[in-house]
Amino acid sequence: MTYRGYVTQLKLDDAEIQRRRAFFELTEEDLARLAALRPLAERYTDAVVEDFYKLLLGHADTRKFFTDDATLRRVKRAQRDYFLGLFVGRCDAAYVEDRLRVGAVHERIGMEPKWYLGAYRRYLELLFERISADIHDPKQARLSYESLQRLVFFDMSLAIDTYIAANLETIGRHQAAIRELSTPVIKVNEGILLLPLVGAVDSLRAQQIMESVLVRVIEEQAKVIILDIAGVPVVDTKVADNLVKTTAAVKLIGAQTILTGISAQVARTIVQLGVDVSTMHTMSSLAEGIELALSLVGKVISAKAG
Amino acid sequence: MRGSIPILRIGPVLLATVHIDLRDAVAEAFQEDVLTSMERTKTAGIVIDISGLDTVDSYVARILADIGRTAGLMGKSAVIVGLRPEVAATLVRMGYAMEGMRTALNLDEGLRLLGYRVARV
Repeated sequence: MTYRGYVTQLKLDDAEIQRRRAFFELTEEDLARLAALRPLAERYTDAVVEDFYKLLLGHADTRKFFTDDATLRRVKRAQRDYFLGLFVGRCDAAYVEDRLRVGAVHERIGMEPKWYLGAYRRYLELLFERISADIHDPKQARLSYESLQRLVFFDMSLAIDTYIAANLETIGRHQAAIRELSTPVIKVNEGILLLPLVGAVDSLRAQQIMESVLVRVIEEQAKVIILDIAGVPVVDTKVADNLVKTTAAVKLIGAQTILTGISAQVARTIVQLGVDVSTMHTMSSLAEGIELALSLVGKVISAKAG
Repeated sequence: MRGSIPILRIGPVLLATVHIDLRDAVAEAFQEDVLTSMERTKTAGIVIDISGLDTVDSYVARILADIGRTAGLMGKSAVIVGLRPEVAATLVRMGYAMEGMRTALNLDEGLRLLGYRVARV
């Protein structure tokens, strides 16, 4: 996902930025104070960035992100821009977008939040040293450092949100893939479809089953659809009810349903639950189901002569 | 309103294609038209194609089921064809399975159910 995607996903509009800033107590005064520090910051930049990379290069876990000199030069340059970005004196939509881009890059290269946060600690320490050395009035130094801390924590909140948003997006993609895989409708023969159901059937999945069955029946102009439930671990009232509903809907569009894969255990449960499955053809094995389906479309399986 | 849904005759079968919303007066007129056409003509039944309908509410479902039942009383049958997947799913979820209604996948199948076969000459 691009950083612009994150802006939308995290709903980072002006109102949200204001709410966040209010909570971090990041005022215009803080930003003005940081802007005033800019000349000092420009003097430190190179030294701070060098020191910062000493930490990152000193540990195997973080060293692996900087494999060659070209990369290192590039990230140091980016780091300088980031560093000076703290002292521009504004914190608006453009600033947030810029910070999200930083978070998105870290997420993309697989730099985990622990390294990000740990490295940031060093950053603050380096800045604290410089500020207290250069600003002689202790009160002024403290105020400056506090302003810096507010903006830094604000930045970190954005970076962490980016990590979370990226993970949620990955989970969403996986769920979609699972959904797609969970209802594979297979064409067995002309006019005969098969849906082997594997795994638990919850109400969301039941709905998808019904939809994909109906759409595929129309697409293939199938006369029969076989639902094989051998792979469904538990058939309770809800699952049975959903199967009955799917059968009714299939009948409405002019096709028939055969339910196969009914074990003795499942058959007993269905009877005990008192679910009326008389509207559908039922068979214990898939093989019998296929034979029945073929006979419904006027075909038979026969042995080869000779 | 009368006659807004034309009923055609192909061989021994009647055919109606519903392409406008079956609203109150239209639906009643349609029901009336279907029944009188069945009474007047020697026919096995009627195929009603509703593939043009985006939605079928409980009122329309009841009209269609009524047509099926009355046709049955007259010794003929009514077959609904072309129900869209989303329409079928909604009807079933509403608990309206239109019991006793004959349905078919497409026009060809519907005609065949009534004993009319479309063939190449």
